[in-house]
Amino acid sequence: MTSLLSRFKTGAAMGSLDPSLSGRPNMSLFQGDAKAAAKEAQKKKEEPPPELTPLEKMLQNAGPVREDGSDKFYGLENFGNTCYCNSMVQALYYTTVFRENVLNYPPLSPSETPEGFKPKVNVVVRAPLAENGTTNQANGKKTLTTAEALARRKQINSGQVIPATQQGIRPEDKPDTPEYKKKQAMLKGPILELAQENPGAYGMDECTFTGLRDIFMTLVEANTRTGVLSPQRFLEIFKRDNEMFRNSMHQDAHEFYGLVLNDVISNVERNAMRLMEQETKRANDGLLQSLESALSHAVMPTSNGVNSPGTGWVHDIFEGVLTSETKCLTCETTSQRDETFLDLSIDLEEHSSVTSCLQKFSAEEMLCERNKFHCDHCGGLQEAEKRMKIKRLPKVLALHLKRFKYTEDYSRLQKLFHRVVYPYELRMFNTTEDAEDPDRLYELYAVIVHIGGNAYHGHYVSVIKTEDRGWLLFDDEMVEPVDKHYVRNFFGDKPGMACAYVLLYQETTFEKVRAQQEAEGLEEVRIASEKANVATEENGQGGVTNGLTRQVSQPNAIPTDDPLPTLLNQAEGSSALARSQTAKADPKSKEERKEAKAAEKAAEKARKAAEKDEQKAKEKQRKERETQLREARKTEAENLKKALEESKKTAEEEPPKAKEASGPNIPSASGSMGLLNRTRQGSKSMSRKSLNFLSKDKSKRENSEGPAEPAQNGEAVNAEKPPHTPTIKERFSFSLGRKKSHNVLS
Amino acid sequence: MFVLPPPPRYPTQAAYNAAVAAGQATPMIETNNILTTPEEQFLVGEGTYVLKEDLHLATPPPHPSEAPVINPNPLATTPQPATAGTKVSLLSFAIRPPPPAFFRLTSATTLSASIAEHPNESRESHDAKFNSDGEGQGTSFSDGGPSTSKTKDANKRRKPKNNMTKSNSSFISRVIINESLTKKLADRPGTAFSPLPTLIILFTKAHCLCHAVNKVTKGPGHLDLIMGFSTGEIIWWEPISQRYTRLNKNGIINKTPVSEIQWIPGSENHFMAAHMDGSLVVYDKEKEDAAFNPEEEEGTVDDEIETSVRGVDHLSRIQILKSVHSKNQKTNPVAIWKLSNQRINAFAFSPDNRHIAVVSEDGTMRIIDYLKEQLLNIFNAYFGGLSCVCWSPDGKYVVTGGQDDLISIWCPSERSLIARCRGHQSWVTSVAFDPWRCDERNYRFGSVGEDGRLCLWDFNVGMLHRPKASSVRHRGSISSRTTNLQRAETQGTTASRMRSNSGYSGLDGADDDIQSISVPVEPRSMTATIPPVLTKKADKDPLCWLEFTDESIMTSSKTGHLRTWKRPSDSPAPAE
Repeated sequence: MTSLLSRFKTGAAMGSLDPSLSGRPNMSLFQGDAKAAAKEAQKKKEEPPPELTPLEKMLQNAGPVREDGSDKFYGLENFGNTCYCNSMVQALYYTTVFRENVLNYPPLSPSETPEGFKPKVNVVVRAPLAENGTTNQANGKKTLTTAEALARRKQINSGQVIPATQQGIRPEDKPDTPEYKKKQAMLKGPILELAQENPGAYGMDECTFTGLRDIFMTLVEANTRTGVLSPQRFLEIFKRDNEMFRNSMHQDAHEFYGLVLNDVISNVERNAMRLMEQETKRANDGLLQSLESALSHAVMPTSNGVNSPGTGWVHDIFEGVLTSETKCLTCETTSQRDETFLDLSIDLEEHSSVTSCLQKFSAEEMLCERNKFHCDHCGGLQEAEKRMKIKRLPKVLALHLKRFKYTEDYSRLQKLFHRVVYPYELRMFNTTEDAEDPDRLYELYAVIVHIGGNAYHGHYVSVIKTEDRGWLLFDDEMVEPVDKHYVRNFFGDKPGMACAYVLLYQETTFEKVRAQQEAEGLEEVRIASEKANVATEENGQGGVTNGLTRQVSQPNAIPTDDPLPTLLNQAEGSSALARSQTAKADPKSKEERKEAKAAEKAAEKARKAAEKDEQKAKEKQRKERETQLREARKTEAENLKKALEESKKTAEEEPPKAKEASGPNIPSASGSMGLLNRTRQGSKSMSRKSLNFLSKDKSKRENSEGPAEPAQNGEAVNAEKPPHTPTIKERFSFSLGRKKSHNVLS
Repeated sequence: MFVLPPPPRYPTQAAYNAAVAAGQATPMIETNNILTTPEEQFLVGEGTYVLKEDLHLATPPPHPSEAPVINPNPLATTPQPATAGTKVSLLSFAIRPPPPAFFRLTSATTLSASIAEHPNESRESHDAKFNSDGEGQGTSFSDGGPSTSKTKDANKRRKPKNNMTKSNSSFISRVIINESLTKKLADRPGTAFSPLPTLIILFTKAHCLCHAVNKVTKGPGHLDLIMGFSTGEIIWWEPISQRYTRLNKNGIINKTPVSEIQWIPGSENHFMAAHMDGSLVVYDKEKEDAAFNPEEEEGTVDDEIETSVRGVDHLSRIQILKSVHSKNQKTNPVAIWKLSNQRINAFAFSPDNRHIAVVSEDGTMRIIDYLKEQLLNIFNAYFGGLSCVCWSPDGKYVVTGGQDDLISIWCPSERSLIARCRGHQSWVTSVAFDPWRCDERNYRFGSVGEDGRLCLWDFNVGMLHRPKASSVRHRGSISSRTTNLQRAETQGTTASRMRSNSGYSGLDGADDDIQSISVPVEPRSMTATIPPVLTKKADKDPLCWLEFTDESIMTSSKTGHLRTWKRPSDSPAPAE
């Protein structure tokens, strides 16, 4: 109850901020028209605040920002085919043990940072994309407003075919597409840009490691939980060091993973060498010991001697040891060789599990013909049997599923769409007998997903389990919470060509898993019952409409945050501040209430003005349309009237407060209606030219839509009405009313 | 061989064409079941199993008004509804000889002290339990409870309220009936399982995840079928009269999907449904629903209130939200037990009808004395969730399969893991014993998995208790087996057995109570591993169900292929 109330309050508080929006450039249908311009100015005020993303909703009551960076959820900007980097860097960031070690290296002792204070990262806070900035206007295109986005989403979700009118709309303008969400993320900001050199920050040369560290540092030190980071410098350095990646082509995320880790290892090693040289004068032992203890708490004295001092942590996290046993079939001698690995590349089979693929990995292999084995014992190439087993299990087990297979007939890499299931927990069957802790339990925490038909094109995203925020989907700039079952969407058999490509498992214990499961269980129950709700309340559209209901079931425009990009670009931190303030201040403050009232008054005025303007606008529209098809126009105008009446009615029915709250939305709704009409007409000609088949359908739709739609929509609206307490009814009804009116038109 | 039904007619074909034209997902119009007989077979010790038939069940297109909207975005984050593959119930109206029950004598003795009979439950006689024709109706769920109905006359059996064919319920989309269903059932009372694809019901809002037929009340003129849905709703349906009743309507009792549903053996009215929030709910098919509030005051156990305060420890007990012994038994639910917050994937009644084995997504297998409403043991999978469970015909062993690609054989009375079976290349989806090939020493069971494989497994008591036994069937004797068996022998008594596996802390740190209930994970090196006697790629798609009949093995795949593998005819089953 209180939370609902507070939501309303914050909403009202938001309203008070609205006038400040007036400076914001906004798109308009009626550009170049004086009246329209006036109306536009009006509309700016009425534009509902941008929707909260699901991520923000999740983080609403998150409490203070943590120090360790475990609750930073930033998207990473894509510079054209750099999703391989983004997905992997995200996965590495949420590899807690790796993040901690990166942040703590090099250890901060006075000798290494002569300046004596913490190294700073050169962060530039870039202005978020101007929402309707010059670029957009130059294109003659418009961004979607929130109202339109909502309306359009509803349309799409309610199972209608996206009208042909939307052909002219770019993918990023369609709500619920990744493009749209990414754009919204960029609009919202803050965008932390890492583009400058940052030499000598850690007493190291600029290298992949420092680049990565810069990213991690920036995220940890950021004031807000969400935003976008632009890893430009890191990529530059990485490309400088790795020639293969020096183009803008689609790259292999797994390759990238290997190279980054190797770079980090060599960078750290080189630094350690340098340090050692520096410190030779000093008492060698003492320093190294302190160094090591500072670096990682768990550096084990490694027996195999691969680790040079001070660099143990990278190896310690990712490195395992494979033993290959080769048995010469001539002399029956078995030779063993140990090799280290940072990841295991496993061959796939249709309808198999990762577990079984791992066992195949360790299956016996015949070395014969061209691939004979050089036996030291009998001297010469002999046929042999080879087995690979794991001698030492790494803390973080990276499994590379070999989805790309070189086919002779095509002489290129083909993608295998085998269904390969992967469990949330894993133990390895293929350990050697002398392996320590052979039953080590791993838990899945990151899935790098490749979307696309072959190795040369496509997109990478990562699905990552965060420490206490459950699973999140990282798709370049966009971050979105997902439920646990979502992780299972990438077995490889689902339509959409999205398959798990790299799986990251980390060491865990039985107790931890149990504890987590209990917690997850609660969440799952919630989702499951929600799903059931959807099924019973919505008209059978099952999972598809789900997202919608969920969004609707929370008042869809909870403005806890000031979304103003213009403000944000000046002070990226302030928004976080504001957010936490609003969140905290909810239950108290009379001032806020006063403010809210004032805002309401203002809104009421605005509404009246808007209504006037609307009338004018309508006439204007009519005139504009005179050249257009008469019948269509008539029905549309009628619908428009109806819609207006309805929205007015709803507004009148509601208590005065609600009336005021709903006021600002009416005109904007009409605006969006106009927009849709226009785009439809615009695209009609287009579709005539190119897509007969669709336009036919569309016209059919248009004919049938008139009578059929309202009833349908009414139903949908009713069905969607969530069972909420009457206190928030106002908020709902306005959004519903708006939708209704919109839908009648469309 | 049976005659295939005529293809159903769709009056709104035009709507489909429109959908296709609109660029929506093309509804698959597959109106007819397809019966093929590919030549396939496999050889096991006892002979050759031959694929008799492959029935591909028709997938009728969805109703035009609710054609699924396919989101082209592979990253769409809308949660997907729960799904299940093809599940089949086999019915036989003829009185067939039940599977040989030579374990009848042993079963009484093998039940150890820990699961000794409750004095009140003596009516759960061993005699009743193997009768598939349901003579022992009286021995229903809670004896003496006010809930037991004792209707005996099949003709007077109560039918559900609503007529399905004439229903205009928004829940049921449409019913495609082969009119000869009733006739066929009447005409061929002696027919064995005949997967008559005579009737298809399509549901609007939800899809059916599981179903069960009451073996007590079944007869040529009456069938009690219950179906569990993804919305949590349950439909009690009588196919002959085409009548149905909705239970848990709109999820009034529990909103989460029903993953498994079964009639309580011997009961006419009661059935148990596993909801995905980790609760087991007992319903009465004839009772009305009532909104459910946990009966705090009922508090059969003292510490229940206590637990509700400090959070429930699901690892030591089940939370009885409503007890069978509750006085308020006028309405559904009859009982609700909350096991955990994890999805229950399956459960199985023990042959003596006293226990249930429940497996869930968190990888636990719980043995519950459902008459006493008490949690006896928790066993843990090697890793990953458990998906299926089955009791051996004599009730001594429980077999589970799961996401570790393994089948585990447990002995609840000894609280021990007998062996792990390795042979599947993906998750195991269904396990079943072959009672026709089990005797007091040897056990045969089968399993199917997502790898499309059918595996058959043998294990025998001799092998397990005498490591040096000349068990011919088990070719792969594993070195580690010896240790396991010795240990099992020395610790054979159930009393106060403490596992002390180093590195397998399991729940060692917890109090004694928990420790005695939860059995920690066995390390690999300590466990016997059994190889399959047969592994056969039985279908090209993932399999999801398996059952043994006296004549054949039946498997079904997720894509709707129902395959019947005829048992070797040359060597009769050793069922004398």
